[in-house]
Amino acid sequence: MAVEIPKDTWTGEVHAVTLGAIEADGGTRTKTVTVGGEKTLPFMHFEGETPNAPVVAVEIKDRRPDDWSPLLEEAWGSAMDDPAAWAKAAEEAGADLIQLSLSLTGSDGNPTTPQAAVDAVKAVLGATGLPLLVFGPGQADLDNELLVPVAEATKGERLVLGLCEDKNYRTIAATAMANDHLVIARTAMDVNLAKQLNILISDMGLPLERILMDPTTGALGYGIEYGYSVMERLRMAALQGDAMTQLPMIVTIGIETWKTKEGKVGDGVPEAWGDWKERAINWETLTAVTLIESAADIVVLRHPESVKRVKAAVTDLMTV
Amino acid sequence: MALSGIQIYKLLPQTNCKDCGFPTCLAFAMKLAAKQVELSACPHVSEEAKAQLAESAAPPVRLITLKSNGHEIKVGNEVVLFRHEKTFYNKPGLFIRVRDDQPADAVKAAVAAVDAYTVGYVGMDLGLDGFAVESVSGDAATFAAAIGAVRTVSGRPLVLISKDAQVMAAGLGAVDGEQPLIYGADGDNWEAMADLAKQHKAPLAVIGSSLDELAELTEKIKGKGIEDMVLDPGGRDLSTSLVQATQIRRLSIKKNFRPLGYPIIAFPCDAGDPARESVLAAQAIAKYAGFVVLGDFSPEKVYPLLVLRENIYTDPQKPIQVQPGLYEINDPKPESPLLVTTNFSITYFSVANEVEATGIPTWLMVADAEGMSVLTAWAAGKFDAERIAKSVKTFNVEDKVSQKRIVLPGHVAVLSGELEEELPGWEVKVGPREAVDLPAFMKQVL
Amino acid sequence: MAEHTVTFDIADEPVVVPTGTMLAEAARLAGIDIMQPCGGQGRCGRCAVQVTSGSARSRSAQRLSPEAIEQGFVLACQTVVEGDLTVVVPPQEKVERRLTTDRVAAEIAVPVGYDPHSAQTIRRFSLMLSPPDMADQTDDWSRLETALRQEADIPRLRVSLPLLQRVGAILREGEWQVTAVLDTETWDCERCLPRLVDLIPGRVPHTMPLWGAAIDIGTTTVSLWLVDLITGKVEAQVAEYNGQIARGEDVISRIIYAGKSDDNSREMRELVLGTINELFEKACKRVKASPAEVAKVTISGNSTMMHLLLGIPAENIRLSPFVTAVNQIPTLSAGEVGLDINPEATVDCLPGVASYVGADISAGVLSSGTDDTDAITLFIDVGTNGETVLGSREWLVTCACSAGPAFEGAGVRDGMRATVGAIEEVWVNANTFEPTYRVIGGKQPRGICGSGLISLLGELFLTGIIDKGGNFNVDLDTPRVREGEHGGEYVVAWGDGTEHGRDIAITRVDVDNLLRAKAAIYAGFTVLADSVGIPFETIEQMLVGGSFGKYINIEKAVDIGLLPDMPWDHFQFLGNTSIKGAYLALLDKRSRRRIRDIATRMTYIELSADNTFYDAFMSALFLPHTDLSRFPSVSEAMTTKG
Repeated sequence: MAVEIPKDTWTGEVHAVTLGAIEADGGTRTKTVTVGGEKTLPFMHFEGETPNAPVVAVEIKDRRPDDWSPLLEEAWGSAMDDPAAWAKAAEEAGADLIQLSLSLTGSDGNPTTPQAAVDAVKAVLGATGLPLLVFGPGQADLDNELLVPVAEATKGERLVLGLCEDKNYRTIAATAMANDHLVIARTAMDVNLAKQLNILISDMGLPLERILMDPTTGALGYGIEYGYSVMERLRMAALQGDAMTQLPMIVTIGIETWKTKEGKVGDGVPEAWGDWKERAINWETLTAVTLIESAADIVVLRHPESVKRVKAAVTDLMTV
Repeated sequence: MALSGIQIYKLLPQTNCKDCGFPTCLAFAMKLAAKQVELSACPHVSEEAKAQLAESAAPPVRLITLKSNGHEIKVGNEVVLFRHEKTFYNKPGLFIRVRDDQPADAVKAAVAAVDAYTVGYVGMDLGLDGFAVESVSGDAATFAAAIGAVRTVSGRPLVLISKDAQVMAAGLGAVDGEQPLIYGADGDNWEAMADLAKQHKAPLAVIGSSLDELAELTEKIKGKGIEDMVLDPGGRDLSTSLVQATQIRRLSIKKNFRPLGYPIIAFPCDAGDPARESVLAAQAIAKYAGFVVLGDFSPEKVYPLLVLRENIYTDPQKPIQVQPGLYEINDPKPESPLLVTTNFSITYFSVANEVEATGIPTWLMVADAEGMSVLTAWAAGKFDAERIAKSVKTFNVEDKVSQKRIVLPGHVAVLSGELEEELPGWEVKVGPREAVDLPAFMKQVL
Repeated sequence: MAEHTVTFDIADEPVVVPTGTMLAEAARLAGIDIMQPCGGQGRCGRCAVQVTSGSARSRSAQRLSPEAIEQGFVLACQTVVEGDLTVVVPPQEKVERRLTTDRVAAEIAVPVGYDPHSAQTIRRFSLMLSPPDMADQTDDWSRLETALRQEADIPRLRVSLPLLQRVGAILREGEWQVTAVLDTETWDCERCLPRLVDLIPGRVPHTMPLWGAAIDIGTTTVSLWLVDLITGKVEAQVAEYNGQIARGEDVISRIIYAGKSDDNSREMRELVLGTINELFEKACKRVKASPAEVAKVTISGNSTMMHLLLGIPAENIRLSPFVTAVNQIPTLSAGEVGLDINPEATVDCLPGVASYVGADISAGVLSSGTDDTDAITLFIDVGTNGETVLGSREWLVTCACSAGPAFEGAGVRDGMRATVGAIEEVWVNANTFEPTYRVIGGKQPRGICGSGLISLLGELFLTGIIDKGGNFNVDLDTPRVREGEHGGEYVVAWGDGTEHGRDIAITRVDVDNLLRAKAAIYAGFTVLADSVGIPFETIEQMLVGGSFGKYINIEKAVDIGLLPDMPWDHFQFLGNTSIKGAYLALLDKRSRRRIRDIATRMTYIELSADNTFYDAFMSALFLPHTDLSRFPSVSEAMTTKG
């Protein structure tokens, strides 16, 4: 019996967004990474094109973090003391992108200074040729204070600056616009909020081709289903032609999974959770792959073994 | 094709007699459209309407039940492609594979461990559903013996795997009276397998290397009077299995294509590598499988999958809630201030974000208001003095804070008197109505 | 427990109360009625009093300025007595009289072809009885019945004992000529005997009016139309604030207040009865009649108002699963209800559908004709509950979304009702950001009313002073946009030009409140349409009710996404559809039957049942809407104006 396979015909497609700029284009990257461009739901190769595979960014910090899981400390070792070394190690572990998170304070306990932020970013740019995403510490005022000088000092690099949120998007979007960078629009697990922030940022004049959206996700067991469905809905809206949802999606899975007890802690947890390391890596990997299958274009991870597994899964998924 | 509420309404008597238990015929029609009620609840519906409605009422993915002594698992009966469109109803069964060439003791030990396994997750005990016993020996007696060994330690439902009808017959004989899944029928053995399925009233898994072949087989088998089937479209890599599962679900939901309107069985156990197996199993859970067969059991492999299954099968129509409890923001000390709000996620996040931004160490008590915002919950009686006081006790707040002072949202200032009565010795303060005004309030007043 | 003496400056005597007594309660005991529009929730700040000596403890000082706190001002509803006190009570704000209904009473058209003989249940008959004598010792009552049988073919009658007690005297007073007023049929007992409602000595000329009244008990305003049942004409229209406002502005506050004790429940009942009885006095005076002549009343209102009026516990209206005690209230008499009119007068409380879709909406559907048209119609009563009905002759669905009172001017810092001194329309210059506005009464402004807020929000949005998310653009070069205590704000009127000398401004919090209100209403439309699978474009007419419906500027309401973007000829503004429905039901028994049918067949959609509403709400929580394709005319306006 010949079964006629129903194919969805989509009128819209996701913007292709290129991260990083090579020298010829005003930057210093040795390679760029393009995400997005999908013309169909994730990996439905039989009905539409997925020109760019989802990619993995590895999260590093500007200094050794105080609150990361011992499993991560074990994996990265002394590289964590130096952002440049850490970036190199991440690249070796298979990262497609480096995501640098600036700390709230320096190791002396004082707030991170703009100069320190710029130095860290420059050090990482010097150590790796991969495109870079830079996130502020997550407090509106300090984010603005640090990201503006970083953006200015790296003009033309097509860095990705994070994070624009609905109450604090103007400054970051403006500096990205002025210095040829990209931004991430982050909203709290809601299709409409995501769309609204994209509209607000694009209303400022930043082209949609320079915006990534982060609809936010919880880790497995901590609200992954909300992120999962929001991403499915956003991607369907994009393919149906809704311009304000046609942006590639990024999710910060590392920070979410490694703050869960399942990832972070080895002692004093139920025996039924099994081996700590394997469980923790499974936690990060399954969160990532599940969200990639729901439409994530960039997943930010922390553990090198998860990077390996997620990349293997992507290779498999991209096989036509 | 599913009918809308209005379309169904036009087939009903339109007398608003309330005999069905709903206030109007339209209300009943809308419940019917949502498949939340049976047509038989209406005693006045005409035969003609019944016939028309029955067609639209049949689930596009057939409900399949496996039964063993004291256990039962139902899969299928799904009505949507994406969980946000309604919900996914019946969680896929997770089965652990055992082989008949393993020594009986090893089988028993493995099965016993699985049978006993439970893990706690948000107040629920999660566990695995059953076992897939595979005939590797090709010998009927060995197969039956292995099944017997499983049955000595676990009564959970089974999938029996063999393509040899004689072997299968022996296996089925070992669990007579049960309803295991017979795996399976292919182009060569389908007639014999169909006979077995009929004889044992057991569902039959159908194996095909393409959807064309599968559809042809299920039609033939259906012609022999078998209604309960499960599909194995053959894909074993992430790309193929995702595409096949999606196509099958689309055909059933969008086209109501009956030959493929059955649940799918997936075999991540064939992956060879535990890391890849987990990824395949996760995909099967999210993307439409009805049965997922895993290889060797280990808690670190199974626990994340059980949690994922819960998450994906959570009803997305329910408001997003946060877990009620005492939350710590900015590393509070015992003397830090205590605020209270409800467990509606948006309410919680707007309060928590404002407090976090102040940098002031704070305790935030999230009361169980059934996921409603402050005003709605107050209006509906879900956020009153009694409930707040109960939360203070349940979350042992008194053990953690030294300053017995609680800040109420400004919208419920009216509760302050009652709360003082409910919490003797506590000082009740009224905070601002809007979260945006919290930073100023906290800096000036607290 | 320790007791304390509280001395109020305006009270005759001090009161003695135990520790922990609320200051508002102490005032009540002292015979002082302190306004508590928010129901004692510490939200409105209107109950501020000044403690000049003694010890009291306040839980909240919201709405009080630091200076006021310094001077000893406290909120009476948030302050407990902890020692002897002396308290100064500032002059209480008098509830302002509403301009509109009273001032320019709309001319109400009598339904075409109104014939009291066929339509009206209340009938009046002049009777000439033969006097009794020794030869004819028939009893008075039979004598009356006989006359009625001969005159009107009505063989038998029902009557109440109090009226029966007076029959003999009235017959003799009129020297055996009397006029009988009968209720010939009630909706809940169509085959019952006619009931004697009134017996008047002498023959009343048939041209004399026969009085009936249609009443709408709004949460905010109670309206009453006095109607001559013979001609069908509305002879007087009066309106007054609902006296229950002093115990809570919204229905929830009132339910909670009434539910606290039997005394409270009685008080709430008396408050609204007081308002209605005052209205009867006033209306009757205007037509030189006596309230005792009123023979029939129909009452419309939301379910809470109906329950509180009748003293029926209303608690379950607000508690899940949100059920009323009764939707179809049997016919009552004025005496039982407590109306100061003819105690025998028939009182017909119109039927509601659900807790939050009451008789006011059934009446609105009736008077708007939503139930009697082939066109798919969306009917909305713009108000706190934003009740919406979608349907046609074939089917009707309805929902209520708690929009909050922002469009009634409440919950907004400088918001006020549509009375003298309210800014009712605003225009903002797109280059200078300077506003011009129109004030009701033409004097200096005191605040902004609902229509003013809608037009202001629309202007702020189209001129880019706020972005689509409602965030103020504080970088603009104008002193009118500034940082206030709640974030950005826009000054509509500087203090030197306002009545109270303070700036009138709209704040970020106000904008959020208005956005939520409009989003809730719009989301209600969306969910109703989705629930029956009707695309928005197939809606053929949009009927807008509510007293608010008179002033609303369609263009601005569409600009902010409150009303759907439809061709203007689809819109029709109907004013108070609730009282119009009550009026129709008063006049015509067929309308009364129709309204029962409407209430029975309206299908109520509970919005809190799932996430659909929330999703639609979040989508509408943007200017004009997250999905701009729903508002083509607004996107066009944005490109031309921006």
